[in-house]
Amino acid sequence: MAENREPREAVEAKRDLVEYTLRKRLPHCLPRRPNDIYVSMKTDFKARLALCQKLLDGGARGQNSCSEIYIHGLGLAISRAINIALQLQAGSFGSLQVAANTSTVELVDELEPETDTREPLTRIRNDSAIHIRVFRVATK
Amino acid sequence: MSNAKERKHAKKMRNQPTNVTLSSGFVAERSTKYHNGGGRPFQAQKQEPFSGTSRQRQTKMTHHSPVDPDVKEQSSSKIMFKKKGGWKAGPEGTSQEIPKYITASTFAQARAAEISAMLKAVTQKSSNSLVFQTLPRHMRRRAMSHNVKRLPRRLQEIAQKEAEKAVHQKKEHSKNKCHRARRCHKKRVLEFNRRQKKNIWLETHIWHAKRFHMVKKWGYCLGERPTVKSHRACYRAMTNRCLLQDLSYYCCLELKGKEEEILKALSLMCSIDAGLTFAAVHCLSGKRQGSVLLYRANKYPREMLGPVTFIWKSERISGHTSESRQLWIWLHPTLKQDILEELKSACQCVEPVKSAVCIPSLLPTTSEEKSQTVLPDEKIGKKRKWKDDGENAKPFKKVIGDGTRDPRQPSSWISPATGIIISDLTMEMNRLRLIGPLSHSILTEALKAASVQTEGEDTEKTPHHWWIETCKNPDSVSLHHRQEAVFELLGGITSPAEIPAGTVLGLTVGDPRINLPQKRSKVFPNPEKCQDNEKVRQLLLEGVPVDCAHSFIWNQAICKNVTENKISDQDLNRKRSELLVPGSQLVLGPQESRIPILLIQQPGKVTGDERQGWGSGWDVLLPKGWGMAFWIPFIYRGARVGGLKESVVHSQYKSSPDIPSDFPDCPAGVVFAEEQAKNLLEKYKRRPPAKRPNYVKLGTLAPFRCPWEQLTQEWESRVRSQEKSSGASSPSGEESDSRRDKLPCAPTPENTDPRSDEGGTSQSSSSKPQDGVATECLARLGTGWVAGQDATGSLPCVLRSRKWLKQLSTWCGPSSGDQRAARRALGSGQPAPTRAACLSLLDRFPRALVWVSLALLRKGSPEPHSMICVPAEEDILQLRQDRLYSGPQEPKHSDPFKSEIRKQKERNKVEKRQNQARAEPEGLAGAHPAAGHPALTLGLWSGPLPVVTSHCSRVLLGFVTQGDFSMAVGGGEGLGFVSLTGLLDMLSRQPAAERGLVLLRAPASLQYRFARVAVEV
Repeated sequence: MAENREPREAVEAKRDLVEYTLRKRLPHCLPRRPNDIYVSMKTDFKARLALCQKLLDGGARGQNSCSEIYIHGLGLAISRAINIALQLQAGSFGSLQVAANTSTVELVDELEPETDTREPLTRIRNDSAIHIRVFRVATK
Repeated sequence: MSNAKERKHAKKMRNQPTNVTLSSGFVAERSTKYHNGGGRPFQAQKQEPFSGTSRQRQTKMTHHSPVDPDVKEQSSSKIMFKKKGGWKAGPEGTSQEIPKYITASTFAQARAAEISAMLKAVTQKSSNSLVFQTLPRHMRRRAMSHNVKRLPRRLQEIAQKEAEKAVHQKKEHSKNKCHRARRCHKKRVLEFNRRQKKNIWLETHIWHAKRFHMVKKWGYCLGERPTVKSHRACYRAMTNRCLLQDLSYYCCLELKGKEEEILKALSLMCSIDAGLTFAAVHCLSGKRQGSVLLYRANKYPREMLGPVTFIWKSERISGHTSESRQLWIWLHPTLKQDILEELKSACQCVEPVKSAVCIPSLLPTTSEEKSQTVLPDEKIGKKRKWKDDGENAKPFKKVIGDGTRDPRQPSSWISPATGIIISDLTMEMNRLRLIGPLSHSILTEALKAASVQTEGEDTEKTPHHWWIETCKNPDSVSLHHRQEAVFELLGGITSPAEIPAGTVLGLTVGDPRINLPQKRSKVFPNPEKCQDNEKVRQLLLEGVPVDCAHSFIWNQAICKNVTENKISDQDLNRKRSELLVPGSQLVLGPQESRIPILLIQQPGKVTGDERQGWGSGWDVLLPKGWGMAFWIPFIYRGARVGGLKESVVHSQYKSSPDIPSDFPDCPAGVVFAEEQAKNLLEKYKRRPPAKRPNYVKLGTLAPFRCPWEQLTQEWESRVRSQEKSSGASSPSGEESDSRRDKLPCAPTPENTDPRSDEGGTSQSSSSKPQDGVATECLARLGTGWVAGQDATGSLPCVLRSRKWLKQLSTWCGPSSGDQRAARRALGSGQPAPTRAACLSLLDRFPRALVWVSLALLRKGSPEPHSMICVPAEEDILQLRQDRLYSGPQEPKHSDPFKSEIRKQKERNKVEKRQNQARAEPEGLAGAHPAAGHPALTLGLWSGPLPVVTSHCSRVLLGFVTQGDFSMAVGGGEGLGFVSLTGLLDMLSRQPAAERGLVLLRAPASLQYRFARVAVEV
């Protein structure tokens, strides 16, 4: 499939400058569970860290605490996601462990035609993503 | 003080009998009666012609009369007022004139009359209050109005009477039928029919009326906002869950005919420059919905008519001939009249279609037939509603037509030359809009694709024979299955924004009422459905295949059948109650209705970099009559309902212009602006002057209405004069005009601030007229000139050329809020608009406006009609030094009208008095001489506006049309128009780092706030 796409993309790249407008679509995402944390370049780092901490601690009274959370980062935000996870681990005195998974996310770019005679096109672009599982281990 | 006291006294004396006088009048009365008031013959004479009742007024008058003959008398009377009771004081005042003798009989007679009058006055209460309300406070008791016996005994009788009267009145007031009789179905239907004669009701009207503030707008009754507090909840629904709206009031126009003919006709009305047209390939195939801006034929870029969306009917290979195509144009009701007229002239559709014979499948004619037929009593409710809709639509259309047409058949027109048929399908379909990520789950939960029916024994007898017919065709069945499969896939996609914009999906669904949940609940996306498979990927990449866009809703005969054969709620519930196991699934089998629907994806925010895809959702088109049947199931799946206010919020957060308020260049927008200005003015005038902002002092010239025309005009002459002063040569013909227009740009006397850069040049260019009157005169001259030159197109022109907008957006610098982008842009250095490019742009679009979005840097949130101003150099310097600098302040202006208003008031008062004095002897009030003056309102600029751009210390660039605190951004955000000339001028002057910074000022505030301007394409 990939080799199919290559030549077409090259042609498009020439075209889209004049006759197409590039529009990035949102990444396809799965429904969010309460213990999923998404990190982007716009999220406030401290606030997100505090949120993770709160989820792991389970609020003030220790109810409904999650034993594990998943931190997701995409593209440029991968380093931020790693940073959050490591900060969590460092602040937990050894009670938290992390396990990272990487993956590739397909992103769709839409090419909107500027002329009536052209069909709208889509391009697929790959981006790397990280999913870090932060979980509590029994220390004693 | 004396005035108030007198008035009080006058009020007290109002109901006194004529021959009973208290206080000062007493003297005269007596003296006139007995002809022996020797002390004051002058006064007695003077008072003789007046009747007793006018005495009080007359005493008032004597106060003000220049020659006061009886000052002493007056003062004595005042003393008498102070003591209690005129009677006692009377002899004191008249001590010298005690009569020598009195005749007992006449005296007694007179006294008897007086006493009886007094008694009458005492027994008859004058005020509107009830008896217990007249009691002094210490005698009042709890629940007196309820229980008569709590009153003092002497008042009990009167109170009893009053209570009876009240009860009696109430009874008369209400209907003579009992509550139950009034609520009986037939009566209610009649009543509802009567009530929807003037304004069209949507099918969900009753539901809305119970929960919404209803407004009558555009010929419809629409829910404006929910009665519960739900601003934030509705926002959350749009962002995280699902918001439902009934958009059935949107009008649909149908064009039928040969494809090339339609395209040829429509190509006149739109321009490729402003975006894709009707001929776009993906729209033409019927795969996608398109949106287009319509203009009067060949008038682009002026004379805008409004934005519309359209869908072509997809061509079926097996179905109709490819020759005849069907096109639906959906538009806002305010735009309908103009667009329909223009469409008709563009397609040369002049002949109204008379009978159903010509076009058998055309619905409007058939609907009229239906409206004439007598319907069975049982279903009268729904049917009568339709009939009324048909009738209601008629006056609507009558206005559209040229009057020569038969009003009975106004809803479709055919062109003899091209064969295009235009028909008006308003209210023939329902349009429900679901906004938000959960709309997929709600749709897939609530709607189930219709089951295929294979056993067709008596096809003609069953009501849903069209479906049985369809099911006989294997092609149709396979298509149906494919549509169903695509629809099921939607459940696995978490946001509608992931699907290509404007995707159209046709479907035939079963009755959604059948699998209605017992209770209202919330659906959540099913993670099991969200498996990442190839099919979903295919859908996301390529959208719905073309053939799946087919729906039977295009076929009006089927729609009519579906509407007529809808099983009523009552029958459905009865059948449900007859189930053997209560609560089990109801199976209707062949009796179940199959409803053709059309799902259209609505793209969310497409412009700009932020919040991509926010507010995307699905529109569901239903045949009429089925609105409530789909409405309730959606709500039972957890959709929240929004009204008109929510759609305004939606369009604002999407930073898309709202119809019709954000189209100042189309007639509907102008009408809207006028109406809004009127309403705001009324609202403003309702407040006392001390409790409302004085807009003159705040320097806000037009707080309720945006003077676009004047703004663009002034900017043009301003820039031109600047060029001249800088040495650039220009055609000399314009010089006097621009100079004349330039003059008022000089600061008004109260405005002595150092000018911004542009202001500096203007100051140097000419001598300043230093008095406000001269400025005003000149301004009037200027506006006269404006009107003279621009008599043809009074509407402003809005720049909608995509190419130029893109260019502008790069000139405007980095888009708001994105710090990284801002830094990057700083590094690379966005190019400043070059002179040549500016000139060519201005040549093409002279005096144009640009739609911009504004994001506030720090504090503040813009309001509608806020002013967008050019920051002066020192503001930018200060901002550079102090990042927290919130913005400059506008110096207070003086109010030249205030003294005028005061003078006028005084003049009025004097005139009134004189009038009264004059009218008194004649017994009639003369015409008010002050009526000729224009009524000045304190706090508003009266007369023609002076130069708006340079009225304040910062030069005005444009106005905000929508603005509020944006919950999506977490800060103030506004949308508005600025003058293109002004924007280019400002951008070319600003350094790259601060390019695109403007100042915003709310109409009722002196504080400017910094904002960043962005042109989003």
